[in-house]
Amino acid sequence: MDSLHQLRKRIVITGVGVISSAGLTQQEFWKNLTESDAPESTTRNPGEDGVRLGTSSFTANIDEFGELPDAKRKSIRKALKLMNRETQMGVAAGQLALLDTGAESDCSALEYYSPERFAVCFGADNVSIMPDDFSRGIQACSDAAGQFDIERWGEDGIGEVAPLWILKCLPNMPACHLAILNDLRGPSNTITQRDVSANMAVAEACRTIRSGDADAVLVGATGTMLTTFNLMHARLENEVAAAQESEMVCRPFDQRRSGSTPGEGAGAIVLEELPSALARGATIYGEVLGASSGSAIGPNRITACRTAMFRALSQTLRQSGRNAKEIGHLHAHGLGSRDSDIAEAQAIREIFGASTAKLPVVAAKSLLANSAAGAGMLELIASLLALKHNRLFPIRNYGVPDPDCPVNAVVRNDESAGSSFVNLNLFQHGLASCVAVGQYQGGKMKRVA
Amino acid sequence: MNRRVVVTGMGCVTPIGSSPTELATGLYAGRIGVRRLTLFDASRFPVQIAAEVQDWNLNTMAGQNGRWDHCPRQTQFAIGAGLQAAQNAGLDESVDGERFGVYLGCGEPFGDFTAFTQSVSDSMVQGECEPALFMQNSLRIFDPDSEREFEPDMPAIHLAELLGAFGPVANCIAACVSSTQAIGESARMIQQGDVDLMLCGGAHSTIHPFGMTGFQRLSALSCLNSNPQAAVRPFDADRDGFVMGEGAGMFILEELQHALARGAEILGELTGYGSSQDAYRVTDTHPDGRGTTAAINRALHSAKLNPENIHYINAHGTGTLLNDKVETLAIKQAFGKQSYRIPVSSTKSMLGHATTACGAIELAVCLLSLQSGVIPPTMNHDTPDPDCDLDYVPHTPREVSARHILTNNIGFGGQNAALIVSQYDDRSTGKVQLGWAA
Repeated sequence: MDSLHQLRKRIVITGVGVISSAGLTQQEFWKNLTESDAPESTTRNPGEDGVRLGTSSFTANIDEFGELPDAKRKSIRKALKLMNRETQMGVAAGQLALLDTGAESDCSALEYYSPERFAVCFGADNVSIMPDDFSRGIQACSDAAGQFDIERWGEDGIGEVAPLWILKCLPNMPACHLAILNDLRGPSNTITQRDVSANMAVAEACRTIRSGDADAVLVGATGTMLTTFNLMHARLENEVAAAQESEMVCRPFDQRRSGSTPGEGAGAIVLEELPSALARGATIYGEVLGASSGSAIGPNRITACRTAMFRALSQTLRQSGRNAKEIGHLHAHGLGSRDSDIAEAQAIREIFGASTAKLPVVAAKSLLANSAAGAGMLELIASLLALKHNRLFPIRNYGVPDPDCPVNAVVRNDESAGSSFVNLNLFQHGLASCVAVGQYQGGKMKRVA
Repeated sequence: MNRRVVVTGMGCVTPIGSSPTELATGLYAGRIGVRRLTLFDASRFPVQIAAEVQDWNLNTMAGQNGRWDHCPRQTQFAIGAGLQAAQNAGLDESVDGERFGVYLGCGEPFGDFTAFTQSVSDSMVQGECEPALFMQNSLRIFDPDSEREFEPDMPAIHLAELLGAFGPVANCIAACVSSTQAIGESARMIQQGDVDLMLCGGAHSTIHPFGMTGFQRLSALSCLNSNPQAAVRPFDADRDGFVMGEGAGMFILEELQHALARGAEILGELTGYGSSQDAYRVTDTHPDGRGTTAAINRALHSAKLNPENIHYINAHGTGTLLNDKVETLAIKQAFGKQSYRIPVSSTKSMLGHATTACGAIELAVCLLSLQSGVIPPTMNHDTPDPDCDLDYVPHTPREVSARHILTNNIGFGGQNAALIVSQYDDRSTGKVQLGWAA
């Protein structure tokens, strides 16, 4: 099928937006990724004091959605009442990405494309049910001693739940709100495949453009593992870092690693077909060279994850037309759990062979923590900014190499990012997704701020 | 390069039949699956009716007794329908797993209502749920094995493992167009050369206290507890909402040459797909039906078909006041004068509304109609509504030798999607081949 890929339309990235624990603007995000005095990636144990460093400072204040006309600010304020935190973060990241498409050109993507030709594709998690949404109903079904009677729910509880509650719980709401707020009437979809969702959304968005159904796609991903319900799930499903300690540290590929750190965040990018992006004078962050995914679901988690990543990486490289030696850096999933990092290191070695020793590997979860579906997009954006600035950012908390994870972990902030990268994500059941991005050489590049 | 996509396998689990054969029998008999709700005690709920899958057990068909007990109903439906589709397609070990993916539109399973409410109740401090207490209590009360399964992507993961699919494995949620879009996007993956073979479709069950609470609060459900069989009344003047349904529809989509090379029986060709956004409100469809019209037009355009080529439309037809009026308007806008000549029916009148899975189940209905030459009726369509003035095929099935069928879905948030399935036509010989027969 390689001939098909060679015939494909060229697609470029022309806007980015981030909402993360390392910043609410592109500039702040990059500064914290690269500067040594950035906050350490630690997450306080929930319930300790309510303060978590893995938490974004995002408050859903209207100013966090970028500089917008009054009418749009009013619309967003009104819509915020129907959004939970994941949706709010996703919408903010999306608005920032759309705004960024016009930051250095006369005409933004929103102004250039017709509403019918502008699509949205997001990655999101199963939206958590907030206990507070049900607390009034549960109280209404409880006796004076506080004993809850579930038999009363139908008569006394239901009416206490907000009429539009269920709409807050739909994972497609970030994409839908963004379409409504910006009059984006093209195709719209939301992929709910957990940590591999963001790269899969990029792949789907590329297919949408290549099919001719859209000229531009707002692609994003959002997630939080910090709500109580999601934290409970994380405890049940993941190796959560040093859960018995008050502070949890994410140490990808380090021998001392003890698990992932729950976090939150959202990222968004705008994809356009190259000729129309050039025609509107867009500045270009990079070109999507390939995007694919692979799976290997089975009982042995290390083998399954390694094989899934091998499949996704090899397919993506094949699409990109680049060989392994030509890749500038690899943005690893870098979960910080024992098995996942070993599997990832093995897959990298299988694909990159002898050049593994020279391939710079970064892992932004060490700073940002793990925001599930959101993480993949934040990591892709981190590497896009590395291309833009032509330097990499260090893996935080990395100090003791693990012989089982023989990767070239980046620990400084002055290594070259190269002219291309691969963003790799993994879901621990044995699913992996990849996006390869290259510097666009043929036209205007984003200027270094 | 034009890579054609054909359907070579189909499976379903629905309230009126747990296989394509049973579904066809039920549809053409006008069997309505709506009854008093039995999955939990809803006797004190405002709405006490639903279209439940009954007398079906995954263990009897999938084996591995007990493995699926922790899975929510939607996962069990998905596995049942997925295995049927794979068997119907005659998949075996010769399939290249790396060129085989899974893409489903399964909805939010929501979780264990009893455990959730108990966890919240035990964590209330001065009228508010205390997060740290909730964490402690939920870890104690919830069943970890079940909770791990209460994720929308788990059906796709289980099916990928069972069928040896090593390509892309994904789930999407786009409200009630989820499975429609999963099927459309699967076709696109094949068309663009990413894979040769996809298992796609969707499964959902919202017949639990969370789902019934949410949809009752939206005032979307019919309240006709006294006469469940008459509750869903698509396009009827007396319609008052939909009835929660559940189930799954699954398909094997395959690149034509791949299917021919392995001698697969072809059930139909997926020729059209369109997706769109109303960009209006999260609660209501656009009153002009602009999003639905756009999705239908995109599907027609991608299939290179004109309105007169479509011989039957399986409508979203939920039976809510707004949906049926706006969908009728959109069909008229997309099909013009032709809209009055095309029979339109809503099988939700029999199946209830399986939310994210409805599109997949309705595609199964369309494939059955292609093969049998009979289209299903809209039940309970008794009293004409001036705003709904198309041919809705009331009460009885009709013989229609359809060559191209369009199925349309509309979802909360402004989501729209449409698919077109066509008789497989071997263009080199002009011969129309019949595949699966009911």
